[in-house]
Amino acid sequence: MHQQQKSGTDPYVEFIDVGVTKPSPAGTSMVILDRISFTARQGEITGIIGASGSGKSTLIRLCNRLDDPSAGTIELNGQNIATIDPLLLRRKIAMVLQKPFMFEGTLLENLQRPFMFRKLAPPSAGSLEITRVLDLVQLPAEMLDRDARSLSGGEQQRVNLARALINHPEVLLLDEPTSALDRPSTAHLASTLCNICQSEHLAIIVVTHDLYLAEHIVNHLIYLEEGRIVEQGVGPQMLAKPQTTALSNFLAKPEKSSS
Amino acid sequence: MNTPHIIPLNVIQLVYAYALILISLALARWQQIGHEKQLLWSSIRMLFQLIAVGYLLHLVFAINSPLPVMLMLLAMAGFSLQVAGSRIKKRMPNFYRVVGSSIIIGCGGVTFYFCLVVIGYSPWFDPRYLIPLAGMIFGNAMNGASLAAERLSSEMHERREEIECALSLGATSRQSAAEAIRNAYSAALRPTINTMAATGIVALPGMMTGQILSGTEPIIAVRYQIAILCAITGAVAVTSFLIVQQGYRHFFTDAHQLKSE
Repeated sequence: MHQQQKSGTDPYVEFIDVGVTKPSPAGTSMVILDRISFTARQGEITGIIGASGSGKSTLIRLCNRLDDPSAGTIELNGQNIATIDPLLLRRKIAMVLQKPFMFEGTLLENLQRPFMFRKLAPPSAGSLEITRVLDLVQLPAEMLDRDARSLSGGEQQRVNLARALINHPEVLLLDEPTSALDRPSTAHLASTLCNICQSEHLAIIVVTHDLYLAEHIVNHLIYLEEGRIVEQGVGPQMLAKPQTTALSNFLAKPEKSSS
Repeated sequence: MNTPHIIPLNVIQLVYAYALILISLALARWQQIGHEKQLLWSSIRMLFQLIAVGYLLHLVFAINSPLPVMLMLLAMAGFSLQVAGSRIKKRMPNFYRVVGSSIIIGCGGVTFYFCLVVIGYSPWFDPRYLIPLAGMIFGNAMNGASLAAERLSSEMHERREEIECALSLGATSRQSAAEAIRNAYSAALRPTINTMAATGIVALPGMMTGQILSGTEPIIAVRYQIAILCAITGAVAVTSFLIVQQGYRHFFTDAHQLKSE
């Protein structure tokens, strides 16, 4: 399933010395992320792994400006994202949150939401936009009339993904996408992500504690510990031959819970 | 028909009335229900506060000039704000600024519209009208205000996931908080709506009862009651609307980010 990625693609999302500090209850400042630098390229899946509290969820929230960094810059194809209108940025950089949230209404209405946010006429059930995203996440069109909240966890995660893809994003962020899924659903999602990454030529950044994803679909892997990048490299190689004791310790005892 | 004059209560009669509080105390003690201290303390507070207000009103009525009346209205607004604030466990960001300005604009606006346009007495500051009417309007709007502010905070807290999901899909702060705003506004209005529907059946309102006791024709008293209920509804609606519309903004940054709690 693993995609062999040619190197030399355009840089897409680039973190340059990014840091996040937050005030701690004691009154001092707490370092959440420290001098993070990496590049996520189009057509590649960048995976971020690490224990709970390593800062991986904070990191991914910086990409679509749900939070802002305290230091450093993040660039989207060479442009500092702090200078891009956040509403426009979030159409270019879509995000799938950890827990699939379904708005009240049918599956179709959930897919129409992003259009309503932009005050555009929502596409109808048979339209090109809807069939495109249903195909991408492999959901049958007969499900469009179903109450979104009555769908199974795996199906909701697919709707979540389809809804994120409907704005034709350039970058897709996923925060622990498999935390509510069983193994078959995880495998299904993994192959879907691989296909989407190639067919839509997306840069995908996925935060996960699930080594299955890291092993099978991630091209560029980053291991975070206490807010620092300890090791980064090509996914399968890094997992097979960790260069640091920190990563080998983590691989020997990966945490089940997410941060 | 002669206008019947209200029977003035003397101190002895008040002592008789107070006997009812003593009965409540005795019942509480006998059945070991507790709260005797609170009951006693509250009844003493009520006694002194009302006597103080009585003398204050007497003074303001005697002076009969705009300044003391306006000062009294400002004090009412201040107390409403303070009571609304003390009732809420988790205050929203910029609570006093948001709720204070909403009470002043909402209640102040409705009070003056009601006094000048609806009733249309003169002079405009006549304390006999302005003070009791403003008191009822501020008191009710204060309840609405604390409901609106409290519900908005809890909705914004409980709906964090939904809001961030909407923001991630390109929604503005307002669009992402729409449901929270709607629920907070409707929670603030519900008691007033229920009161209107039950008035006259479940309970006779205080103002109407008071007017009837002091000799006003019931038909006129009813008209006043209808008018004041409309004013109260308007004040609660405008004040709560201003609170939720201003309030939700303080949960977000300018970049449509939900602030951390």
